[in-house]
Amino acid sequence: MRALKIAATGMSAQQLRVETIANNLANMNTTAYNPRRAEFADLHYQQVTRAGTVNASDGTVLPTGVQVGLGVRAAAISVHLQQGAPEQTGNDLDVAIEGKGYLEITLPSGDSGYTRDGALKRSAEGLIVTSDGYTVAPDVTIPDDATSISINAEGEVYAYFQDSAEGQLLGQFGLVGFTNPKGLEAIGSNLFTETEASGPPTVSTAGEDGLGSFRQGYLEGSSVDSVREVTELIEAQRGYEMNSKVISAVDQMMSATTQIR
Amino acid sequence: METAGYATLSRQSGLMREMRVVANNIANSATTGYRSEGLIFSEFVQTAPGQQSLSMSRANIFNTSMEQGQLTQTGGTFDFAIEGDGYFMIETPQGERLTRSGAFSPNAEGDLVTMDGHRVLDAGRAPVFIPGTAETIHIGADGTITADGNTVGQIGLFQAAEGTTLMREDGVMFRAEGEIEDAETAKMVQGFLEGSNVNAITQVTRMIEIQRAYEMGQSFLETEDERIRNAIKNLIKS
Repeated sequence: MRALKIAATGMSAQQLRVETIANNLANMNTTAYNPRRAEFADLHYQQVTRAGTVNASDGTVLPTGVQVGLGVRAAAISVHLQQGAPEQTGNDLDVAIEGKGYLEITLPSGDSGYTRDGALKRSAEGLIVTSDGYTVAPDVTIPDDATSISINAEGEVYAYFQDSAEGQLLGQFGLVGFTNPKGLEAIGSNLFTETEASGPPTVSTAGEDGLGSFRQGYLEGSSVDSVREVTELIEAQRGYEMNSKVISAVDQMMSATTQIR
Repeated sequence: METAGYATLSRQSGLMREMRVVANNIANSATTGYRSEGLIFSEFVQTAPGQQSLSMSRANIFNTSMEQGQLTQTGGTFDFAIEGDGYFMIETPQGERLTRSGAFSPNAEGDLVTMDGHRVLDAGRAPVFIPGTAETIHIGADGTITADGNTVGQIGLFQAAEGTTLMREDGVMFRAEGEIEDAETAKMVQGFLEGSNVNAITQVTRMIEIQRAYEMGQSFLETEDERIRNAIKNLIKS
C-alpha cells in the first residue's frame, strides 16, 4: 500500500513544479520579475534492518542494511536572482536598478516594503510613488512647475524649470541590500518584505556596498527564460505521468492480491 | 508441511518491497542530488533435520547507485554541482551529514546554508561565510570562494573512507557510519545543479517486470490452491 502513497508524493511534487513554471511563464513580462524554482528533497527512510547489524555468530555485519524511502517533499521554492535585461522606455520616472539593491517603499501600513520595479509615477500631491501609489522612501516631491525630472546613477533627483538652466536637487533615493535577498517574502505587486531569513535591510546609497546604480529611462525586464521553463514543463509533465503509471501498476498488483481465494 | 505457497509468498512480499523502492525512485526523479536505490534478491535456504531443504527468496540487500547525475545549468551563484566522487558536508542538529544536493544560499547571518537551513562546512569543517557586500562571488573547481577577487574560504568536498557505509536520511542527506576523508578527485561546478540519477526508462521497465512477476506469483498461488482443493475433494470421495 505504501507504494501508492509514495507515488502520490511524487505526483504532488511534479504538480508543484508545474505550478511554479506556470507562475514564471505568467510573469514573463512583469517588470524585474525573477523566476522561481521548486527544489525537492527525499522524505525520511524507514529503517527495516540497520546497517551494521550482526548477521552471524562469527561477527559478520550487514554492510548496507535495509532502508525503504517514503517519497519526496518540496524543500523550497527558491528565487533565482539575476539581473533582467534593461528595456528602454524613455519615461523620465522609469528607473532600472543595475546591481542587487532594492528601492524602499512605504506601505500603507507604515511598514517598509522593497521592490526592484522602478516604474515610478507622480501622485496628485507631486510625490514620487510606485504604480500602486505607495511612496518611495525617502519622500521626494516634484514641484508643479517643473518642466523635467532627471535621476542620476546615484539616485539624486533633480527638477528643471523654464526660467533657469540649473537643476534643483529634490532628494536622493537610497538602495537597500540584504544578506540573503532570496529570503525576502514576496507579497505580490513586485513587492517584498523583510523576514528572519533575509536579515535586516542595510540602507545605503547607489554605487556603494555593491548594491548597483540607477539608470533613468529604463525598466528592468523579467529574467524568465522561456526556453528553460518550457523544457522544465515537459520534464514535469513526464514525471507526473510516470508517477501515475506507478499508481496504476500498484493498483493492478493489489487487485491481483484480492483475487486470491 | 505444505511449502510451495510459502516460497511464493516470500517472493511476493519481496516484489512488493521492490515496488516501493521503484515508486520512491520515480517520485524522486526531480530531486536534486538524489541517488537511485535498488533492491537485490538473494536465496534464503531453510533446512530442517530429516527434511529436504527449502529455498526461499529474500529481498534484503539495498544498493545505491553512485552514478553521476545529469548537470543542469541554472546560472545561480550559489548553485553547485559535484563532478566525480565527493559530497558536501553539512551541519545538522543530529551531527555532520553528507549531501550531493548543492542548492545553497546565504542565510541572514551570511553563512552558506542548504534549502533546509543547515550550514555548509568548509574544508576545515567550519561554517562558510559569504560577505554580503561582495558584488561577485566565484567558486573554483576545488571549492575556493572568491569575493570580488579576494579569497574568503573554501567549501569542503568529502567522501566516505574505505569500508564506511552511507545511510540515507531525509533531505537528500547521507549519514556516514565510519570515517570520512577528503575527496581528492571530485570537482565543483558553479551555476549548475546535479539532477537525480534515476534512469526513468530502467525504472519504468523494472516496474512492469515487477508487476508481471507479481501476477505470475499470484496465478501460481491460485493453481496451487486449486490443486489442494481437488486433492482434498478426491480424497473424500474415495
